[in-house]
Amino acid sequence: MKLLYSIYKEYKVLTRDRAGLAITFIMPTVLILIITLIQDTTFRSVSEASVPLLIVDRDNDSLASSLEKSLAGSKFFVITKKNITNEQAKNEVAHGSYLIGIVIPENTSKNLRKKSTQRISKLLNSFTGDTITKDEPIDTNRLQLQLFFDPITKLSFKTTISNSISSIISQIEMQSMATSLNQKMQENFPYASPQKVETAPLVITTEEYASYNNSTIIPNSVQHNVPAWTLFAMFFICIPLAGNIIKEREDGSAFRLLTMPGSYMIVILGKMLTYISVSLIQFGLMLCVGLYILPLMGLPQLNVGDNVLLLFLVAFSAGLAATGFGLLVGTISNSHDQASLFGAVFVIILAAIGGIWVPTFVMPEIMKQISVISPLNWGLEAFYGIFLRNFGLKEIYPELIRLWFFFLATLSTSFLYQKYVRMR
Amino acid sequence: MEALVEIKNLSKKYKDAPRPAVNNVSITIEKGCVFGLLGPNGAGKTTLISMLCGLFSPNEGIITINRKTHQSNSRECKQMIGVVPQEIALYSKLTAWENLMFLGHMYGIKTAELKERITKNLSILGLEENTHQKISTYSGGMKRRVNLIAGLLHNPQLLILDEPTVGVDVQSKQAIIEYLKNLNTELGMTILYTSHHLEEAEDFCSHIAIIDDGKLITQGKTKQLISENDCKSIEEVYLKITGSKFRDK
Repeated sequence: MKLLYSIYKEYKVLTRDRAGLAITFIMPTVLILIITLIQDTTFRSVSEASVPLLIVDRDNDSLASSLEKSLAGSKFFVITKKNITNEQAKNEVAHGSYLIGIVIPENTSKNLRKKSTQRISKLLNSFTGDTITKDEPIDTNRLQLQLFFDPITKLSFKTTISNSISSIISQIEMQSMATSLNQKMQENFPYASPQKVETAPLVITTEEYASYNNSTIIPNSVQHNVPAWTLFAMFFICIPLAGNIIKEREDGSAFRLLTMPGSYMIVILGKMLTYISVSLIQFGLMLCVGLYILPLMGLPQLNVGDNVLLLFLVAFSAGLAATGFGLLVGTISNSHDQASLFGAVFVIILAAIGGIWVPTFVMPEIMKQISVISPLNWGLEAFYGIFLRNFGLKEIYPELIRLWFFFLATLSTSFLYQKYVRMR
Repeated sequence: MEALVEIKNLSKKYKDAPRPAVNNVSITIEKGCVFGLLGPNGAGKTTLISMLCGLFSPNEGIITINRKTHQSNSRECKQMIGVVPQEIALYSKLTAWENLMFLGHMYGIKTAELKERITKNLSILGLEENTHQKISTYSGGMKRRVNLIAGLLHNPQLLILDEPTVGVDVQSKQAIIEYLKNLNTELGMTILYTSHHLEEAEDFCSHIAIIDDGKLITQGKTKQLISENDCKSIEEVYLKITGSKFRDK
């Protein structure tokens, strides 16, 4: 009964604290919406067909159409074709309208075919001892396609795109050579019926995400930001919780409660259970934002994986850790201002280290190593495990144990500080 | 008369403090009396009350409440005590009713009985019409009255009041003192009272102890103290004993 009344009291105090409610529920919702929208392009650039590409086709022949077909088939580019000059194409890329520009000069296909034919003729003639006399003279320079890259393009991304295009062009060259070879063979052996040279790649690679249970969920801004900012909000409840503890201490309520028979522990337990419940409600609300609100804004829908119960276990564990942290901040701070400043700054640092703002997989190695000290990182890794890798309890239990240990450590420190420092 | 509280050779020194906050103090509070604990700021009153409530352990000495100690019977000792802190120890976002229901439940009072006691006390102190208003909307005097009710919902044997009338208007002060007198005379509740209102203390307290610099300077029946010191009032006795020097530290 005491515990129930304590929870009821905390519930009443919390629900009548508008600023606290705003921090608890509105802040994470707004953060998820804004940050997800901001980061969506960045995540898409490495995962979805979103690279704007300009093709200036002055060739109007097979090479350009094959190249366009292959680029479109890669689902990596949004292709726009324009009939403009090299300088204009360069300007459009420089102004950021396109990330890449490709200029295919006039007669490129024709020259490629001629060049291929010449090479094949040269090869066959070397067997028969004939010399090349009847071929028209052609431009001996190598054929040249002009590529323009937006200056903001990262080197690694530029290299990847260049390699992709080179690979496509190599295939087109190969096909052209094979076609010429077939033609020459036909000319030299008109009564034979030789098989065509196959140009399909001899070596192929298979690719899949190394996830459990054949899950193929690709990381996107929603899969990162929903759990990340929910964890941030969970830990941010340290501010209203610490404020609640300090207010009780300042207005004499803590003194009164401490003089009651065995009550203060129940009051603390009531606070903890209330704030853990708040964490779970926050988590449920943020899941709903990811499932129902973000898709309305043109963002991908959150994929919650197959184990919702396990998700709530992670949320509960993160809530425990956040509550323990709030108790510690409330216990060691001497004033509400001190708790607000210390709590906010500390959570922001833990969030930055833990990969909330910038995912750890794009962090430098040293930061990746540092990130493992943040409880927000433990929670985030556990969520990633369930969302993206279909992990079960067996795989994520180390993160859960870390969160529980953090809770026990902060709780014990709070009680020891209260007993031996405040009461000395 | 039988002693309710016996404090013997009590000393408490805080870590890093240059001298003890309470230094070898012995006081006896008889059952049914109104005991005034007076002294300048920093005299050691709050530390003494905190030890009496079981918040701190003394370095030396012993406190017994109805022959029980906090060390051996903490729960029983705390159940016998009701505390009214100097601060308004209430939740400003809750109503008077919600505050008192919460605090009463923390003392383990059954809901039906608690409702009855809250209604009765709020009515006696003229707050029945404001029962369901948030504390933040109350005047200073109204808050003090609810603060007082919160300390005695469980009918304690010893009611500890730390400056219960500070910052209230004359009407509220009158209501509080009259209410406390009734509790003392009708229910036989023992009251330990601290205040800087010496005239109020003289009128209200049957016994007075004056402490200064952590030491007990004098204690006895109020009238006896006045006559023994050849003074006209407790204020004269107080100034005679403690001097008129400021206690700024």
